[in-house]
Amino acid sequence: MFEIATALSSVAPVLQNGGWEPEAAQHLATAAAALAVGLAALGAGIAERGIGAAAMGAIAENEDLFGRGLIMTVLPETLVILALVVVFVV
Amino acid sequence: MSVRTEGSSNYEYVTARVRSRRAKLFDADDYRKLVRMGPSEIARFMEETEYETEMNALGARHSGVDLVEYALVRNLAKHFDDLLRWAEGPLYGYVANYLRKFDAWNVKTVIRGIYTDADREDIEDDLIRTGEFSERRLDRLVEATSIEEVVEVLSGTIFGDPLEEAMPDYESEGVLVPLENAVDRAFYAHLLDEVGDPEPDSPTALYREFLHAEIDFRNLRNALRIARSGADIDPGAYFIEGGRLFDAEELRQLARNTDELVARIRESTYGDQLADALDELAGAESLIGFEHAIEAALLEYSRKLSNRYPLSVCPVLAYVLAKEREVENIRAIARGREASLSVEEIEEELVIR
Repeated sequence: MFEIATALSSVAPVLQNGGWEPEAAQHLATAAAALAVGLAALGAGIAERGIGAAAMGAIAENEDLFGRGLIMTVLPETLVILALVVVFVV
Repeated sequence: MSVRTEGSSNYEYVTARVRSRRAKLFDADDYRKLVRMGPSEIARFMEETEYETEMNALGARHSGVDLVEYALVRNLAKHFDDLLRWAEGPLYGYVANYLRKFDAWNVKTVIRGIYTDADREDIEDDLIRTGEFSERRLDRLVEATSIEEVVEVLSGTIFGDPLEEAMPDYESEGVLVPLENAVDRAFYAHLLDEVGDPEPDSPTALYREFLHAEIDFRNLRNALRIARSGADIDPGAYFIEGGRLFDAEELRQLARNTDELVARIRESTYGDQLADALDELAGAESLIGFEHAIEAALLEYSRKLSNRYPLSVCPVLAYVLAKEREVENIRAIARGREASLSVEEIEEELVIR
């Protein structure tokens, strides 16, 4: 218990009267938004891996499917766009 | 014997291509048309489909129904080779294991060719150039002039040791049966190698179940054939390990009594899928209807699996089976028309999904 209390007191300068210091809070929010976008991009990338492979397979068999394959492949990209909204909200 | 390659499986890519190819297979409509054509019309029809390249390539050397048959086989080999080329990781292992069926076919063809002193070219024409063997090994097989040489070329493959063990039997009896049995057993013995012991209810477990079913059906078919032919052969000697329905001893007893055998299958896990086939077996005189019903049941099961588990080995397997079936069907039609069988008789020979 006691160790935790000392650890907490070391971040005390950031905290004043139980609230965040405005500047530190802003920095933290920006970092969180960046993390959100990054994770969303990672998720989109993982999703596109499978779809892209399948799309390549389909295109190799029938070239007319190029357009459809491309659209399906970039569909998870909407995830990143939605995550980008967070950047403007904070 | 492991054929595993590095990395993870690329199910997405392979299944996308396989599904596209599956959609191009002949459907019931095409078969209805084909059954009513003469041999030369069938050849012309095939020139306008999937088989165009092969028909043109072989057109100069063969003609008529032979041309159709060689084109079918060559096309089959091309597609299955593509599967092996695309697949990576464990998926390659599963596919290669199953396609060793054609290695077994090739080994048997070469052995039979040497036994009957067939021409080198004739043997070469009858090979199906797919499966795990490299082109070079196949060429060396064709060049072999004695069965001892064939066995030597095959050392290091799954067929090497079993063939060597079967050689004394062959030499003392002078018939090919021990050798051919050794080849088939080697294939089935290694069929389940790559699959291992997967978690229940995963796609791999279902694939395993499917292979079990295939081995069981094969045992069943062999037993019934022996029983029907009335020959004095011990069905247990032809028993293939790996199935779950019977062991060698049981099969030996059941083969003598068809009614008991039917009752036994009805109670087993295959009962539902084979209900129609069993009714046919109980009533009919010939085994053909029953064998086709087994084939249809396997096809249906593989299709169900491939829809339930889209990203697994199941769609690939379903394609392999469907393609094999198509080749068998067209061959039956072409040969049937050549022998001027009636439309109904030929339709009986077809298994259409």
